[in-house]
Amino acid sequence: MTNQLQLYKAVELFNGLTNEQIEALITISQEEVYQEDQVIFSQDDEGEKMYIIRSGQVEISVQADRQAPAETKIFLGQGQIFGEIALIDYGTRSATVRAMNDETIVDAIHRDSFNQLCQSSTAIGFVVMRNLAIDLSYKLRHQNLRSTKR
Amino acid sequence: MVYKVSYVVLGGAHPGAIINQFEQPKVGGHVKIGKNTFEIVEVNELMPARGDFAFLHATVKQIGKSKKK
Repeated sequence: MTNQLQLYKAVELFNGLTNEQIEALITISQEEVYQEDQVIFSQDDEGEKMYIIRSGQVEISVQADRQAPAETKIFLGQGQIFGEIALIDYGTRSATVRAMNDETIVDAIHRDSFNQLCQSSTAIGFVVMRNLAIDLSYKLRHQNLRSTKR
Repeated sequence: MVYKVSYVVLGGAHPGAIINQFEQPKVGGHVKIGKNTFEIVEVNELMPARGDFAFLHATVKQIGKSKKK
């Protein structure tokens, strides 16, 4: 668990948590490995898990409608999270996520396990939810910067 | 220090990337985003550092394309 603890300490989602609190999150995460171009989940799927990228990159793409080509919205690399929107709002997946590299490793956290942990430790819940909000605002800032570089 | 970097590609057609890394990005350095490689042309602070995290914005331009399998 020590290696995973060091990895998680470099993930902003867990910034401000103690080692013990991070280890509690490690116990509810499950490693998943994907190969290049493998789809992790598709737009409109039911979504019950949030993911943390341990290695590799993923492509986030969106289809405006079923006939339209998918448009790549962003690439996310090590330490980034995705799938958090469906975890928060209980809606379907807002985008398709595809692995960009062989041996792309992600850690999945199931909504039910996450909610149970947050209810048992409101301190963990507060910090993680605050960091989720910061991450979403960072992604918005990235999109704003993109629009200024056109 | 962990550097959370927003990479934005000049021209705006490419979506760019967000990556955590342990080395500070530097002008002239290279970064792989998706299947393409880019050169860093500008680095700025995006938000004030918090804890062990620095939040940077890097502007990049494409220099090469990896071969597809």
